[in-house]
Amino acid sequence: MKKFLSIIFIIVSFLIIFLLQSNFFNWFTIAGVQPNLFIILILCIGLFAGKKLGLILGFIFGFFLDIVLGRQIGISGIMLGLVGLIGEYLDKNFSKENRITIMLMIAGVTAIYESGCYIFNIIILNLNIEIIEFLKILLIEILYNSLITIILYSLIQNLGHDLEEVFKTKNILTRYF
Amino acid sequence: MYKNNKKGIAGIVITIIIIVLLVIFTNNSVNQASYIQNICNIFVMPIQNGFIYLKNKLSGNSSFFESIDTLKNENNELKKKNSELEQSLRELEIVKAENETLKEYVNLKDKYKEYNTIPADVINRDISNYSNIIVINVGTNDGIKKDMTVIADSGLVGHIISVSNNTSKVQTIVDPATAVTSKISTTDETIIVQGTLEDKGILKATFIPTDAVVLQGDSVETSGIGGIYPKGIHIGTIKEVVNTNNITDRYAKVETAVDFNKLSAVLVITNTVKE
Repeated sequence: MKKFLSIIFIIVSFLIIFLLQSNFFNWFTIAGVQPNLFIILILCIGLFAGKKLGLILGFIFGFFLDIVLGRQIGISGIMLGLVGLIGEYLDKNFSKENRITIMLMIAGVTAIYESGCYIFNIIILNLNIEIIEFLKILLIEILYNSLITIILYSLIQNLGHDLEEVFKTKNILTRYF
Repeated sequence: MYKNNKKGIAGIVITIIIIVLLVIFTNNSVNQASYIQNICNIFVMPIQNGFIYLKNKLSGNSSFFESIDTLKNENNELKKKNSELEQSLRELEIVKAENETLKEYVNLKDKYKEYNTIPADVINRDISNYSNIIVINVGTNDGIKKDMTVIADSGLVGHIISVSNNTSKVQTIVDPATAVTSKISTTDETIIVQGTLEDKGILKATFIPTDAVVLQGDSVETSGIGGIYPKGIHIGTIKEVVNTNNITDRYAKVETAVDFNKLSAVLVITNTVKE
């Protein structure tokens, strides 16, 4: 029951982020570049709730975004799913209790996600390759995402630990007994 | 976990301030600069004006002693020139009026009236930095089909890539995946304009013929080749021609007529090229 409620909570926060992203961050940009809050959301799910949920929800949310606003269906689905998987890997190797490690995680994952999407798009849609312009946009996006992480850090910590309690207690118990 | 709440809140407030400042400065740099320029000018201008006044006074003294005869001659010449200019102006006005009547005969103004259009509003914009897609509030229920052309009052917007019952997705011409076959309206040279990542109001025009003369300010319109966009829809004007070492590689930057950041109302052309 708790799992069900927390999944509903995640979906509601996804919808809130979607509304923010398509209405507020459209004009609240740094040099015309908007942040990508979906990466932060999916990475946190992967970090705190495990790779299963991160992968599945990342895939579903990415597909939703592709269907509503995408050029090609599937690219951001696959890449957001990958972000969820990376979250589990980062959880095993790094500490989540530090503001700077979370910032660095989000910066790295943003770079991986956007370059993955760009490479897929180049292959599928036969785009012109504009590496310098792409890197410019990517750097500003990483900066914006990390600044937002500083603001959201305490919220991420509190909600993340609640999620961890719901989804990861079983694993720990089976390890001990 | 050792948490210092005061420090945390201060950090959050500082980051919010930094973000707001970044947003303001990066998006309104031109306005901000002119504002600062105004303030600076208040201090500098009186001194500048004084210097110029002094300079004029000093240089004016030498010309005061010029003979009156030369001035008379000059005056006569200027009067002659003036009458000539007035005559040519009258001729030009006659030509202008003739041109307007001819244009009316050709029905240039009624170009857009032969298309059946459906008005629509933009209800959603792209959330990605690397593509430019908008969602409009008409769909199959209103008779919209895939590959129909979308225009705004000032020019071409894009074409429809997918339709649902009540909404449809429009891939705009500034999207990096779009390429439109178009022509320069003065010389009829065919070029291809593509969206870029660089700027949301700039298109890159490539495949310019080597012998073509491309000038700044030339207007660019669709050529009708390719089967999606009808002929003769305005796209924008050439902002800059970039010459490279090899003339076949040269390209031009085209400024779009439509402002994609403020786009809110569009028209969908329902009779496609094939029909």
